[in-house]
Amino acid sequence: MMGRAARGFLLFLLLLAAPVSAAVSPRVNPEFAAPGPGMPAGVTVASAALIENASVWDNRSISFAGEAVGEAMIRGDHAWLHVNDDAYQARNLDDGRPRAGYNSGQAIWAPAELARRVRLFGDYRNEGDAVRVSGEFHAACREHGGDMDIHATGLEIVREGHSVAQKLNIGRLWIGLALLAIAGALWLMRFRGARTGTR
Amino acid sequence: MILRPQTGDFLVIGRHTGRVIVGVGFLMLPPLLVALLGGEWNPAIDFLVGVGACLTVGFALELACRGAREPSWTHGMVIAAVSWLAAMALGAVPGWLSGHYGSYLDACFDAMSGLTTTGLFLLQDLDHASAGLNTWRHLLSWAGGQGIVVVALAFLSSGRGAGAYTLYVGEAKEERLLPSVVSTARAIWFVSFAWMALGTFALLAAGLAIGLAPHRALLHGVWVFMGGWSTGGFAPMAANLLYYHSALYEMIAISICIVGSFNFALHWAVWTGNRAELRRNVELVSFAVTMAIALLLVAAGLARLGVYPDATALFRKVFFQVASGHTTTGFGTVYARAFVTQWGPLAMIGLTLAMAIGASSCSTAGGIKGLRVGVLAAALLQEARRLISPERAVVAQRFHHIGTRHLTDAVVRSAALVALWYLATYAIGTVAGVWYGADIASALFEAVSAGSNTGLSCGLTGPALPAGLKIVYILEMWVGRLEFMGIIALFGFAAALARGK
Repeated sequence: MMGRAARGFLLFLLLLAAPVSAAVSPRVNPEFAAPGPGMPAGVTVASAALIENASVWDNRSISFAGEAVGEAMIRGDHAWLHVNDDAYQARNLDDGRPRAGYNSGQAIWAPAELARRVRLFGDYRNEGDAVRVSGEFHAACREHGGDMDIHATGLEIVREGHSVAQKLNIGRLWIGLALLAIAGALWLMRFRGARTGTR
Repeated sequence: MILRPQTGDFLVIGRHTGRVIVGVGFLMLPPLLVALLGGEWNPAIDFLVGVGACLTVGFALELACRGAREPSWTHGMVIAAVSWLAAMALGAVPGWLSGHYGSYLDACFDAMSGLTTTGLFLLQDLDHASAGLNTWRHLLSWAGGQGIVVVALAFLSSGRGAGAYTLYVGEAKEERLLPSVVSTARAIWFVSFAWMALGTFALLAAGLAIGLAPHRALLHGVWVFMGGWSTGGFAPMAANLLYYHSALYEMIAISICIVGSFNFALHWAVWTGNRAELRRNVELVSFAVTMAIALLLVAAGLARLGVYPDATALFRKVFFQVASGHTTTGFGTVYARAFVTQWGPLAMIGLTLAMAIGASSCSTAGGIKGLRVGVLAAALLQEARRLISPERAVVAQRFHHIGTRHLTDAVVRSAALVALWYLATYAIGTVAGVWYGADIASALFEAVSAGSNTGLSCGLTGPALPAGLKIVYILEMWVGRLEFMGIIALFGFAAALARGK
C-alpha cells in the first residue's frame, strides 16, 4: 500500500512531467558575451559565456575552439568529446605553462567519424589536439538528460597536439632518498629502543 | 582549578600523532606505485619525498615521545584534532611539489578537503594531472572517510589499551561493531573493501560500456568509487561526473554514495543478517523524509524557471545533485556556476538544506546527520503529544537505531548541541564569505558545503579565493568532520596550558 505522502510526491512529479515553459525571463550577465541583434550564426563563443548566459545561447549555432582532453567516448555512430578552451589549451602546466586557474570547457556530441579525427587527447603526458567545432549549443539537452552540450556538425583540427617532455627532477630525488635514509635511521633507533624496553 | 598539562601529556599526544603521520606516509605508497607503473617519474619522486617526510617526522615524534602512557579521554580528543592537522600539513607535500597548486596553503586546502571527504578543490589544470596525483587525492578521501586514526589503529596498533577507544571517538565515531576497537576498525575496513570490489567492478564495466579505454575505465572506476564511497566527491576530470554523460555511470556512482553514507553499524547489522534494520532505522527514515523535502524544493525551483526540457531530464539532474548533496558527496553533473546562473535561489536553498543535514552518523558523511535530525524530530513530536495529553500523563518516546532506545533529555540535549554547533559553523562561514564580497546565497551555499564536508561548489571556491576565506573553509572542514568535540578539547588543552596551575 502506498502511503499518502508517497502518493502526493508522485502526483507532484507527474505535474512536473507536463512541458514547463520558462516563466521567468532569462537573466543575462553583461560581463560575458551574449547574442545580440545581427550577430551571425557560428560565432565563436567561450565556455564561460555559455555557462554564464546559457539560456540566451540555447539552441543557437555557434563555433567553439579548444583542446580535446581525456578521450573520445564512442557511443554507436556518435561520440562524446570534451574540449577545453581554458588557459592550458596550447600548453599545460607540466609543459611549462604558468598556473592560470581551473580547466573549463564544453562537452561535444559529435558523429563518430568527426570524433575520430582527433589523434591526441590532453592528459598528463600529452597536450591534446586543438579543435574547432561548429554546432548547436544546448543549455539543457533534451536528448541527453539535461546535460549542457554542443551537438557538432563540423570539426576541424586547428593544431596537432604533442607529447610533453618531462625533465627528471634529480635534485628532488636526492632529497627524497635523504629523507628516507633519515627515516630508516630513526626507525632503527626506535626499534632498538623498543627491544631494550625503553619503548 | 584548571590543571596545566604536564610533559607526560605532550608525550602521549606526540607519540600517537607520530603514529598517525607514519600511517599517512604508508598511505603514499599506492600512489607512488601507480606513478612508477605509469612511468610518471616526477610525480613518483614527489611521493618519495612525501613518504620520506612523513616517516621522518612520524618516527622522530614517536622516538622523542617514548615512554608515553595510554591516552586518557581528553588526550584521545586532542590527538584526533592534532593528527588531522598534521596529516593535512604532510599530506599536502606531494600535491604542492606537483606544481598544480598556487601555494602550499592551496595544497593544504585540498589535503584537508580530501581527508575530511569534502571534495572542494583548488588544484589547477586537473585534466592534465598525473594518475599518481589523482590516486593520492582519492586515497586521501578514502582513508579520511574511514578515519585516519582508525587507519592507524587498524594497521599500526595492537589497540589493546583502553585509550584506543578514546582515539576512535575523537574522530566522531561512536559505534562499536565488535568488542575491541581495533576489531571494529578492521571490520569497517572489511566492509569498505568488500564494497570497493563490487563498486569498482560495476564502474569498470560501465566505463567500458560508455567508451572509456580499459586502463582508464579501471583507474576511473577505482577513483570514482573512492570518491563516492567516502562521500568525498573528488573526480579525475574537471567536469566531474558530467564528463561521462551516462545515466548508467551516474546511477552506479550515486548508489555508491548513498550506501557509503550509511552508518557503519547499519552496514554491520545488515552484513550480520539483521535486515529489518533497513526498515526501522531512524537515520534511514530521517534521510528518506529530508531527501524528499529537498527534492521537492529543488524540483519546484527548477520547474518554475523552466530550466530542463522534460520531467526525465529534470528528475535525473535533481535526483543526482540532491542525493550527492544530501550524502555530502559533492559529485556534480552540472557546472558549478550553473547552480547560480541556471538553477536559481530556490533550488540552491533546497540543495543547501540537503547539504546542511547530511547523512548518517558513524559513516563517511558529514553534516548535522540524520540521527540527530531524527532525534530532534522525535523530541518535537514528544512535546506536541505532551501538550495535548493530560497534565499527569507520562509521554514516553522511543526511536530505533540498531536497537530500540528511549528518547531521554540527555540524548535530545546532545543532538541539539551538536546541531547548534553546525549551524554556528555554517553561519560563521557565510559571514566570512559575505565579508570577502560574495552574495549571501553563494556564501551560504559554499559555507554549508565546506562545514558539512559536501564539496559542491557554486563557483565561489577557486584558486583566486582570498587566503583568509581559504583558511576559514579549511577550519570549517576540520571542525565539521571531527564534530567539534576534538576541537573543543584542543582549545581546552591550549587554555589549560596558558592559564592552568
